[in-house]
Amino acid sequence: MTDPSTDGLEGIQRPVAHLRAKAAALLLFTLALIAGSALYLLHARGVFEPTQQLVLVADDSEGVAVGMDMTFSGFPIGRVRHIGLAPDGNVHITVDVAQRDAHWLRTSSVFTLVRGLVGGTAIKAYSGILDDPLLPDGAMRPVLRGDATAEIPQIMATARELLGNLRALTAQDSALAATAANAQALTERLQGPGGALGLLMGNERDARKVLATLERTNALLARLDGMAAKADTQVFGAQGLLPEAQAAVAQLGGLLQDTRASLRKADAVLAEAQAVGANVRAASTDLGALRAEVEANLRKIDALLNQVNRTWPFARDPKDLELTLP
Amino acid sequence: MNTLQTLEDGPARLWRLAQRRALGWARIVYLGAVVLVLLLSPSTYRGAARTRLAHHMVRATLPVLPGFTALAALVSLSITRIVVVTAQSYGLSRYALEMVVRVLVLELIPLTAALFVALRCSIPQGLELARLRAAGHLDRLRRQGADPVRMELLPRVLAGAYAGITLAALSCVVALAMAYLGVYGSSLAGLPGYTRMFGQVFTPAFTLVFVLKTLFSSLAVALIPTASALHPGPGMTELGGLARMFALLLLIELVSLMGNYYG
Repeated sequence: MTDPSTDGLEGIQRPVAHLRAKAAALLLFTLALIAGSALYLLHARGVFEPTQQLVLVADDSEGVAVGMDMTFSGFPIGRVRHIGLAPDGNVHITVDVAQRDAHWLRTSSVFTLVRGLVGGTAIKAYSGILDDPLLPDGAMRPVLRGDATAEIPQIMATARELLGNLRALTAQDSALAATAANAQALTERLQGPGGALGLLMGNERDARKVLATLERTNALLARLDGMAAKADTQVFGAQGLLPEAQAAVAQLGGLLQDTRASLRKADAVLAEAQAVGANVRAASTDLGALRAEVEANLRKIDALLNQVNRTWPFARDPKDLELTLP
Repeated sequence: MNTLQTLEDGPARLWRLAQRRALGWARIVYLGAVVLVLLLSPSTYRGAARTRLAHHMVRATLPVLPGFTALAALVSLSITRIVVVTAQSYGLSRYALEMVVRVLVLELIPLTAALFVALRCSIPQGLELARLRAAGHLDRLRRQGADPVRMELLPRVLAGAYAGITLAALSCVVALAMAYLGVYGSSLAGLPGYTRMFGQVFTPAFTLVFVLKTLFSSLAVALIPTASALHPGPGMTELGGLARMFALLLLIELVSLMGNYYG
């Protein structure tokens, strides 16, 4: 039987063989790990690599981060060390280019800042003519910007509008679908009995009516033709209306001359009648004088009678006293 | 009646609980400060203290080193493979390696190392300390005029922190190597690109946050279980100590993530 606490204590205080060596090795191991990691990190961040500077001038630093790579043909040859705003408002991107890769950059090199659809921004260098002079240390170059995402909102808006229109066009109840259906029905009816005429008239019965009307019109026209021929004969023929009318006109001319002579005679009669009238007027004037004389005579008779009456002594009856003229 | 009494006691119980928690954290902070001061004191590394420190360091670190290395290698290789295959299926393989390094080296493996140290070193050391205290060893030391904190706590905390830092560093190296092997195989052709990518991931800010995170995680993992064992009481149970340790690790991880990705 052992006391558990004592047992524990024995375990704790059990000596470790080669303690100093083990501890030293452990410490060295840890130090080596930490130092090795730190050195590797410094190496990875390019601290030990001789570099030369290149300043890229851009109008926008969006997407550019310190530490990002500058690539040449897909290989990283430099990394961004500093991004700053210049007094003229441009962005100065300072790039450390490893000296062993600096020979890829020439005075004619072109630098681009490309923003892809997926992933970050990339700075790329292009050297078209590798015989040109080397790019000097601290050179300042403009960077061309290409942003694949800048146009996306506009493209999306246009595409959405286009798709909306397309959807409206191709919808089940759209005008285009209705037109296509109508066109199909139209074509079927064009191919069917009645054809275009049936299409125009709407139904077959009306189309037949039109056909019948056309036939009857043709028959009518034929009859009209015959009638015109007959009318021609009757009007302009030898026994036609026109020669007879001409004879009638000639007769009318003679008749008019006779009428003129009659009228002249009538004029003479009238002149005579006028003379008769004048005579009658004169006779009427004489009749007036005669009437005046008659009236004077009557007045004289009246006066005479009045005088006789006054002088007539025998008559008592007033009635008898009056002498009545007839 | 009983329920009413419980309701009446509620605020008082809450107050006692808060007091206990505050006391527990205060003791841990105090012991941590003492340990940091002693860490900077030259007397810690002299004579018998140095031997004691070496003894605990070797006992804490050496036995777990091979097992942890194997575990880290296995986990790293598996996760690298999973991430690379998934990224390839989405056509994003060029971003896979960076993601592996960020997830494994920066976040996952150091946390695993801290937890491994806690389970294999700190908690057993805390139990040892509790056993020593129960056996009256600490009181005996006090009676002899020695400081139990300096004699027993400090070597254990330092050994735990050292194990944490060593395992974190080792796990990072192993994870980096496994990530490279998982992607490029045994060919050395990808080394320049890999190194460049590693340099891009480990910016100075990331590196600083990583170093601070590793240091604080190691310290928390080493300190809390042993401190809980040294001062037993209503607020310092072993389970409470473990809960505190996990809470602090979580807090450190959160702060480091915020520092890395929201800064």
